[in-house]
Amino acid sequence: MREIRLDLLLLSLALLFAPAFSDLLLSKVDRRIDLTSHVVRITSTLKVENAGTDPVSEVLLAFPDTQAKNIAYLTASTIEGKGKTKSSSVSLPIQVVHPDGMPPSLTWHSVSLLKGLSKGESLTLDVLAVFTHTLRPFPEKITQAEIQRVAFQESAYYLSPYVVKVQSLTVKHSGQFESYTKLENSRASGSEIKYGPYENLPSFSFSPIVIHLVNNQPFAVAQELVREIEISHWGNVQVTEHYNLIHGGAHITGEFSRLDYQARPHVRGASAFRNLVAKLPPRAHSIYYRDEIGNISTSNLWGDSTKKLLEIEPRYPMFGGWRTSFTIGYGLPLQDFLFQSRGIRFLNITFGCPINEVVIENLIVKVVLPEGSRDISVSVPFAVKQWEETKISHLDMVGRPVVVLEKTNVVPEHNQHFQVNYKFNNLSLLREPLMLISGFFLLFVACVIYVHSDLTISKSSTAYLAKLQWDEVQATVQQVLNIINRCLTIHGKLEASLRDLSRTGDVQACKSARKSADSSLKELSKELRPVLILLQSSSQAVQILPKVEELVAKERELQEKLMLKHSTVVDCYEKKSGGREVENRVASIQQKITALRQEVDDLLEIIDEI
Amino acid sequence: MQVVLGTLLASLVPVVGFNAVMTSEHFASFLVFIVIHVVALAYYIKGILSPKMFKVAVTLVLAVGLVVCSAVIAVLIAMVASSPTKGWSGRSLSLLDPTYASKYIPIIASVSEHQPPTWPSYFMDINVLAFLVPAGIIACFLPLSDASSFMVLYIVTSVYFSGVMVRLMLVLAPAACIMSGIALSEAFDVFTRSIKCQLPGVSQNSQIDVGDSTSGSVVTQDEVVKTDKTEDSLKERPSKKNKKKERERERENVEKASIKTPIQKRLLVLPLESSVIALLLLVLLGAFYVVHCVWAAAEAYSAPSIVLTSRSHDGLHVFDDFREAYAWLSHNTEVDDKVASWWDYGYQTTAMANRTVIVDNNTWNNTHIATVGTAMSSPEKAAWEIFQSLDVKYVLVVFGGVVGYPSDDINKFLWMVRIGGGVFPHIKEPDYLRDGQYRIDSQATPTMLNCLMYKLSYYRFVETDGKGFDRVRGTEIGKKHFKLTHFEEVFTTHHWMVRIFKLKPPKNRIRGKTKKSKSKASSTTSSKRSGKSPWQ
Repeated sequence: MREIRLDLLLLSLALLFAPAFSDLLLSKVDRRIDLTSHVVRITSTLKVENAGTDPVSEVLLAFPDTQAKNIAYLTASTIEGKGKTKSSSVSLPIQVVHPDGMPPSLTWHSVSLLKGLSKGESLTLDVLAVFTHTLRPFPEKITQAEIQRVAFQESAYYLSPYVVKVQSLTVKHSGQFESYTKLENSRASGSEIKYGPYENLPSFSFSPIVIHLVNNQPFAVAQELVREIEISHWGNVQVTEHYNLIHGGAHITGEFSRLDYQARPHVRGASAFRNLVAKLPPRAHSIYYRDEIGNISTSNLWGDSTKKLLEIEPRYPMFGGWRTSFTIGYGLPLQDFLFQSRGIRFLNITFGCPINEVVIENLIVKVVLPEGSRDISVSVPFAVKQWEETKISHLDMVGRPVVVLEKTNVVPEHNQHFQVNYKFNNLSLLREPLMLISGFFLLFVACVIYVHSDLTISKSSTAYLAKLQWDEVQATVQQVLNIINRCLTIHGKLEASLRDLSRTGDVQACKSARKSADSSLKELSKELRPVLILLQSSSQAVQILPKVEELVAKERELQEKLMLKHSTVVDCYEKKSGGREVENRVASIQQKITALRQEVDDLLEIIDEI
Repeated sequence: MQVVLGTLLASLVPVVGFNAVMTSEHFASFLVFIVIHVVALAYYIKGILSPKMFKVAVTLVLAVGLVVCSAVIAVLIAMVASSPTKGWSGRSLSLLDPTYASKYIPIIASVSEHQPPTWPSYFMDINVLAFLVPAGIIACFLPLSDASSFMVLYIVTSVYFSGVMVRLMLVLAPAACIMSGIALSEAFDVFTRSIKCQLPGVSQNSQIDVGDSTSGSVVTQDEVVKTDKTEDSLKERPSKKNKKKERERERENVEKASIKTPIQKRLLVLPLESSVIALLLLVLLGAFYVVHCVWAAAEAYSAPSIVLTSRSHDGLHVFDDFREAYAWLSHNTEVDDKVASWWDYGYQTTAMANRTVIVDNNTWNNTHIATVGTAMSSPEKAAWEIFQSLDVKYVLVVFGGVVGYPSDDINKFLWMVRIGGGVFPHIKEPDYLRDGQYRIDSQATPTMLNCLMYKLSYYRFVETDGKGFDRVRGTEIGKKHFKLTHFEEVFTTHHWMVRIFKLKPPKNRIRGKTKKSKSKASSTTSSKRSGKSPWQ
């Protein structure tokens, strides 16, 4: 503290000797400083008047270096139109300049006016400057029970290269303060501390003030936030945000007692924050909240048609200096954020993080475009570092182009939309499914080819010949089996004809059935002969041949028996002998037939197994 | 070959080393290995030599071999007998003798999975299989084949091992599955067969068959009578007659057989209604078992024991305290800080908090665990010294007294005492027990009430409800108001389940620090004053 104060004294001494800069003068300066959160917002309304003769086109804003390095956001706007019609404010371009002959340790920003300010004219400028890390916790270490106090330093007078005629300063705080630097015309009332009005101060007037106040707002600082926005033209924009969060306020020292925290959370743990609220787009879906060791169950989601609020609670209450890291992710419908005009697609999405009042020290936004995007250009409303990468994901051939934007010191004011323009052919969408389909198709084709191709290297090797012969034998055995089976069906027909006979007594039909069966059996036996010869000639069939021959023999026997039975029964019917006699004569044959049938079936099974 | 290769590979693992050949439990497998090779060698030599030479060789080899074998066996027996446990390692002995571990190796006995299972745990884990297994054993005996006798042996040994410790329920599970599969299959077989025999379509056929055969038999009998009569009357062709008689006999035999088999089958046939109902019940049983298995897999086996849930009238309540503590450790302590806790939380701390631990679930260093156990059961000062020598920064204890989480460190504490006392004899279990009872209420021993575990667990616990009522033990704690001198509380989770304490820096520096802090305080106040004055 002492050092800073010394700095300021030196600065003020240096400033005293600086010359007046130009003919401009500020007829009225009204500054309002908002200290209710851990981001300091200074809104200055400057009434600029040209007292000289030449038209002036730029206004200089001066900040001490100590402050300037903490500027996160700076805009100047002027109100167009006069009187009651002042409505539209126009923001003016600002750039850092280094004018000559100026006192040291000052940083200059130049506001370019839209049209030059000619003699005697005046103009109202609204300047908003947002600072981070300017509220210093004092004391720097507190115990759990203490409230957090911060010190803020500023000049009571508006630091400007111009003469200021009338000025005032209002500091808004959360209501409690320890002390403030008392100057003439300073007073504190309610949640405000007022300085001024001061009149006719020369340029570079400086009077350091320090305000020591209570601020228990969550000092959530994301040391690093990586936002990954991945576009899928199948209809989804996936946003994944990796937070590395620290409580940037006064560090906790000594014991942390859960007892005290639970008993009186607002007294013993006033400086801690329990939860954060992220404001997501209304149609966000598939929202998750996790960290490296899994899902964090303490979150809550509610919303309506205009917004969706995700209340996330870190695993433990965040006390000063405590860190945590977590990831939130959500999907957004593509049509809400991706637009198309004249062949160019552009993504229009917010830059900053959706959590309120989080200061981000280093924000990296990665926009992952679909593979095959080209002619990529980015338009961001403020200066960012920018480069391109590629990301290889599932089914990628060359990788997806990634636009990386990096910005330090990001405050909620940076939550503006930015655009990524690119060209993308819709046909590229079909690439991945086609790749999968063709991949599977090729796999199956390869299988088919493998099954059907003969991969034998030597066509004359014994093993190969043996295999060929074996295949042949199998084919012939199959033929034999087919023939036998056909014989068996004919046997079935004969039996059926016998049954018909017993039912209807139509001998003629039975005989004709017998005839046709005879002829077909003969044909089959003719068919069988060459096949059997073939089988006998083959050397590979030695093993199976006896079984086959046995089968054929048994079948023949069966055939004979069946014929015998058939003729006997028909005979009996012709002789009109009684049922009993028929039964008597047939029974013994029937026994043999069933026995043979059984044997044939067994043999068929055995051969099948071989 | 595989035995040799596997043994060589296993002995490359540092923990195993020569245990693979030195301990007795591997002896059986090596014996079988040797016997197989001897037999193979004998056959090989038999092939080479002529029968005469072979006989000579056999007598020679037997003579020499017997001497050598007896010598080797004598040496082996002497070696085995010289070791106190007969060459068996403690872990396998605790399998064979259920009381061994609790007598000699407290670290094995301290694990809850190593306790003998209770009947409810059987029903929880294998459910209906517990009833089907006996049926399966009976089914195995009906035709006792090689395969089924193997199954019987398998189930019997696995039941024994699962009875020794809970974790060997894993061994029982496949055996129980197979046995109950056999039982179910037999039951289905019987029921479906009896239904098949009585189904309307099939039964009609069978009835017709039966009718045919009966009528046929009647007919044939009649015929037989007739033919007999004719034969008697004609008395012609005795050869034919004989043939006919033979035929008759054959026929009768066949018919008898054909009648007998259905009758035999009939014996196993149950009434249609009862078998249908039994089938339905069996299917229902299977279906309920599936439901139970899905439930058990979801609730008991895959529910992470690290995230606890409880259902109350206002919905599901999640106790995520373990991960809360581990996340705090990983983000808010230095990377090279060391954390001491009971070994149960070692792997979790390593993986989730990314911090070095003193002991973890790999319990092979018993002395390490005993050191931590000793520290936990020592008074604060001694514990602080032990932890300081181990370069420990944080001590983590699990405490369930607020929410009623029973497997906390106080309930495990006796094991810390036993394991610690196993290596450091000044820790004596009776000091912590009042009349053989473990208690933490006002009847507890002063050693218990002054040990580190008690103090860390119950630090400022009395202020939660004013009485210090422990919901796990169901009593008020013995010592309610005390302060920690060498430790400070740095984190306690939402439900108090995990408490993390930090070791205060060494004492000689504490004295310096108090002076310093005093001077610091004065300087800060002075600076504050001096800082303020010009601004005001």
